[in-house]
Amino acid sequence: MLKINNIDAYYGKVQVLHNVSLEVGSNEIISLIGANGAGKSTLMKTVMGLIKPRKGSIEFQGEDITKIKNTKIVSRGIVYVPEGREVFPEMSVRDNLEMGAYCRNYSAKEMNDHLEQMYAIFPKLGERQKQLAGSLSGGEQQMLAICRGLMSDPKLIMFDEPSLGLAPVIVEEMFKVIVRINQERKIPVLLVEQNAYMALSISNRCYVMANGMIKLSGASEELLQVSDVKKTYLGG
Amino acid sequence: MKRIANRQYLWIGAIFVVLALVPLFIDNNYYITILNQMVINMIVVFGLNFITGLTGQMNLGTAGIYAIGAYTSALLSKNFGISPWLTMMAAICAGFLLGRGLGYPSLKMKGVYLSLTTLAFTEIVRIFATNLIDITGGTQGINDIPRFAVGPVMLDTNTKYFYFILVVAVLVCLLSIRIVYSKWGREFRAVRDNADAIESLGLDIKKIKIRAFTLAAMYGTLGGALYAHFNSYITSLSFTTDLSINYVIILMVGGIGSILGNMVGAVVVTLLPELLRFLGDYYQITYCILVLISALFLPNGLVSIYGKITGLLNKGSSAEGGE
Repeated sequence: MLKINNIDAYYGKVQVLHNVSLEVGSNEIISLIGANGAGKSTLMKTVMGLIKPRKGSIEFQGEDITKIKNTKIVSRGIVYVPEGREVFPEMSVRDNLEMGAYCRNYSAKEMNDHLEQMYAIFPKLGERQKQLAGSLSGGEQQMLAICRGLMSDPKLIMFDEPSLGLAPVIVEEMFKVIVRINQERKIPVLLVEQNAYMALSISNRCYVMANGMIKLSGASEELLQVSDVKKTYLGG
Repeated sequence: MKRIANRQYLWIGAIFVVLALVPLFIDNNYYITILNQMVINMIVVFGLNFITGLTGQMNLGTAGIYAIGAYTSALLSKNFGISPWLTMMAAICAGFLLGRGLGYPSLKMKGVYLSLTTLAFTEIVRIFATNLIDITGGTQGINDIPRFAVGPVMLDTNTKYFYFILVVAVLVCLLSIRIVYSKWGREFRAVRDNADAIESLGLDIKKIKIRAFTLAAMYGTLGGALYAHFNSYITSLSFTTDLSINYVIILMVGGIGSILGNMVGAVVVTLLPELLRFLGDYYQITYCILVLISALFLPNGLVSIYGKITGLLNKGSSAEGGE
């Protein structure tokens, strides 16, 4: 589905990604864990075309998307849910969701169908569709950001730290929803997380990143047992 | 939400009706001139609302845009004898080209840098207009800019001209409402709200900004053209930075991002200096103080008064209900 081959990426003169390769198969949940500044978000931004890699290539469904403009990537079917609940606070919940579908030209009926689907996933959003997004709680805003991503019927969805700053109960619900999206909609997921235990427990495979390099990768169950990973990311 | 919107349309309609009735009771040419200027200001601010009000990009280039509209229409109609109907269309086209041409390089910049760039644009236009004496007449200006006829009716008096621009303003207002509540309007507000999120949705911020700026330029050149044919005389002395700032004040005093606010702002800010004239030497300072007070206490403009009052009333009644 998504294949990242040996990319190098820079912010100005500073090299952030060193020869990074990663693969997401169809219908997989892949987690990407690592400390702050490891380059996780940079990797996502590179996939989205917001940063251009100097070396290497990115393939999506067999097509080379390395040089495609950011605005075209979303219409190819890759959606990125950025970290920190980037909603439009001064706009209504409904308007926020509609913004998510702007790269597709839905008819009024299709738009309504999609809105209904989102309200089915998170009934709260339906109840609050006319409220300003800024008045929602943190968890609800994160749900809104996820649903906004789903509005364009993505073929691959990438979450950047969806658990950031949320209460533990809500974090659990969030991960359940991610699994549900993956299973019900058959959308592969690339999940960037600090909450390594949670990320490992729901993903099929996992990549561990440090200092802009992939240090380890493998089946999540196996990585849970690796002593290095345990020590560094799981607190024991 | 819908009820608020409906009430807003009611107010907008009411303002237009009142404006249309005013000339029936006032026969003073001076006041009619002010009315004309007021409605022209309204049209320009409807445009500025797209870029500064909704998209949140400070634009101090309005005077330059306005001047280009005025000169385009004035020069084409006077020197080449082209019908002002066509030259006004030409002015709008000039606005479109200007929006695209100026928007592309300048909207890369943000915040105060954008303000400075647009400010510089206004100054450049003014300096060119002042010094290209062969074409623009410099500070002496261009006179005898022709008025025109709508069908059989010649717009020879200011009252007739007023009704013409009032109709234009109604049409432009309807277009604005249509845009504000469309996909475009939502994209504009989204840029002001959260530019980072826009990128993750695969939307092109620059394209959205340029679209808003182009709309502002087209409204602005239309306003300038209407002004040229109304006044029959234009000079580079009128198109100063003060004028740009005046339009931002209208936007601010009325209510940023609200069409009703644009109208209220245009009415108040155009009338206020006239109403304060009796203060003589003190009128400028009184005017400035009033604008400052409005910025401090009504940051969302005069239109927010209504919501504040009903808010207080509701609070009072719910407190009573609680007892």
